[in-house]
Amino acid sequence: MIVQHMGRALRGVAVALAAAALPALAQAPVEVPFYYPVAVGGPITRIIDGLAADFEKENPAIKLKPIYSGSYQESITKVLTAVKSGDAPVTSILLSTDMFTLIDEDAIVPFDDLIRTPDDQAWLKSFYPGFMENSQTGGKTWGIPFQRSTIVLYYNKEMFKEAGLDPNRPPANWKEQVEYAQKLTRRDASGKVTQWGIQIPSSGFPYWLFQALAIQAGTNLMNAAGTQTYYDKPEVIEGLTYWLDLVKKYKVHPEGIVEWGTTPKDFFEKKVAMMWTTTGNLTNVKSNAKFDFGVAMLPAGKQRGSPTGGGNFYLFKKSTPAQREAAFKFIKWVTVPQRAAQWGIDTGYVAVRAEAWDTPAMKQYVAGFPAAVVARDQLPFAKAELSTHDNQRVTKALNDGLQAALTGTKTPEQAMKDAQREAERLLRTYK
Amino acid sequence: MTHVYDSRGIPRAIETAAAWLLGVLWVLPLAYAFWTAFHSGEYSTRFVLSAPLTLDNFVRAWAAAPFARYFVNTVLLVTMVLAAQLVLVTLAAYAFARFEFPGRGLLFALVLVQLMIMPDVLIVENYRTMALLGLNDTIVAVGLPYMASAFGIFLLRQTFKTVPRELDEAARIEGCGPLQVLWKVYVPLARPVYLAYALVSVSYHWNNFLWPLIITNSVESRPVTVGLQVFSATDQGIDWSIITAATLLTTAPLLVAFLLFQRQFVQSFMRAGIR
Repeated sequence: MIVQHMGRALRGVAVALAAAALPALAQAPVEVPFYYPVAVGGPITRIIDGLAADFEKENPAIKLKPIYSGSYQESITKVLTAVKSGDAPVTSILLSTDMFTLIDEDAIVPFDDLIRTPDDQAWLKSFYPGFMENSQTGGKTWGIPFQRSTIVLYYNKEMFKEAGLDPNRPPANWKEQVEYAQKLTRRDASGKVTQWGIQIPSSGFPYWLFQALAIQAGTNLMNAAGTQTYYDKPEVIEGLTYWLDLVKKYKVHPEGIVEWGTTPKDFFEKKVAMMWTTTGNLTNVKSNAKFDFGVAMLPAGKQRGSPTGGGNFYLFKKSTPAQREAAFKFIKWVTVPQRAAQWGIDTGYVAVRAEAWDTPAMKQYVAGFPAAVVARDQLPFAKAELSTHDNQRVTKALNDGLQAALTGTKTPEQAMKDAQREAERLLRTYK
Repeated sequence: MTHVYDSRGIPRAIETAAAWLLGVLWVLPLAYAFWTAFHSGEYSTRFVLSAPLTLDNFVRAWAAAPFARYFVNTVLLVTMVLAAQLVLVTLAAYAFARFEFPGRGLLFALVLVQLMIMPDVLIVENYRTMALLGLNDTIVAVGLPYMASAFGIFLLRQTFKTVPRELDEAARIEGCGPLQVLWKVYVPLARPVYLAYALVSVSYHWNNFLWPLIITNSVESRPVTVGLQVFSATDQGIDWSIITAATLLTTAPLLVAFLLFQRQFVQSFMRAGIR
């Protein structure tokens, strides 16, 4: 026991010297403020409070303080304000795409200094590589995946039967997706649509759903270093053209901007037969859809594909080595397979490690609800979510372009060229 | 207020129609909130008159966060801010309106500059000040940056300036000191302005969100608006019934107060010229 403590203290001092920070003396308990953005409904804050209490019970020397910090957008505002005023949290969950922003603000430290034992290295390797793409850059690990998601296709099996489609065979590629949607779109006598074939939401963060189309068409939207975007590549324009064709050419998708927040509602009310939305909606759909529904991987263009999404753990620079050590301990504790599994079951997020899917709890859950594995099976095709330096503005350039194309004020080519020009202007200083 | 604008004939009909139109537009979101909050989720976008009413959404919303505590915090916050504002604003406005002192013009210009700056721009600096004072995560920290209100000072100064000098002088001849004059002459005459200002202040601080979110961390110091954040489920679909129920809960006190004191409010607004 004592030896172990001494070992830890020595390690702490070593890290402190390495980080050229003031060595924190072993003082109990170590306070770890932890910002947590609320991004799913329901009793989420209670689950987090419960996890924190369990962790403290096992580690009485650590005082974990969960602080609910609003939506992801509000959380990054709160974090950056606190960082600038010298009062940052020790750890926080923030969007994985905020990585470059946080690095540029000099707010976070990489996890590499804390990952020392072979056990730790094995732990780091156990996360799905698709999720690590948004967590590592320049050979360092800046984020640890926690509440992550991808996009999947939800479809109404009853409508499939009514339209003469096999309810157990969802569309596998773009061509089938169009054919199915055509069969699933219904009009009344006056030609007004009473049931849409498909909806891909485009409010708020259209880039995320669009990114899936671009990946399926053959390219991601940016390079791994976060210094270059490919908004005007032919494949990207092909993806956008396909989306617009669903609206204009085939008329199986509502015109204009489709609301993200109400798309599940439209699905429950049988206004739409197929919808693209996050796996985070799984629990919501399961409890609210009054009909038999299916979940499928997104259909393939040239290839299958979806961006990942959601939040990572970050470690903040303005903290003592002892605090970082304590936060790291919590992050490891909360991502062990059975907790990662339970978290996925409770929230609908994709369990972030392969081992989590082998736990008895998860096996039982999947047996009763096979739709839950679709997200996992799609992970090998998943790519990093759009994330660059000056992320907010570079992403906004694309969002504006997409909405301009969807509302018909610009052609796809023009919209993407303008977005690319704006992104290049913003990224010039980072090259 | 001797002449009241009064139109007749067609202009009057148009004005009435426009007023109704604006009124209906304004009340629509509220009406929607009422409908959705009292019905179960499946009726949130379908209007069937026979739909069963339910209080379930309110129960769920109330249970989702410690709203009782948040209400106490919000009431404490708006009372504290308003009390401090009334005292500071009255004294400052009195000084600017009725006393000659060197640098008065410059000082008043500086106060007015505050009107030009959006409070959101100052968030980082305010946060730093609160951290320096050791007030982070307290109700005082939420209210402190708003206590010296430039808007209030400006408004009251203008009102005090309209008070006839003769009243002031008469009170002085009767033997009142400067503070007694303020209390016995100026404050009573400015009552409608105080009422209008109080309403603006209370509703602003009741609804303020970003600053309280950033400066507070714990249940003990957070106001209701920040409590509402648990419903901001962007990773999922939005559950309108529970959001509208929670929104009604948190705005109910203001709505009720407005309906009760509506006549006074409208009159004070007309007199104070705030819209």
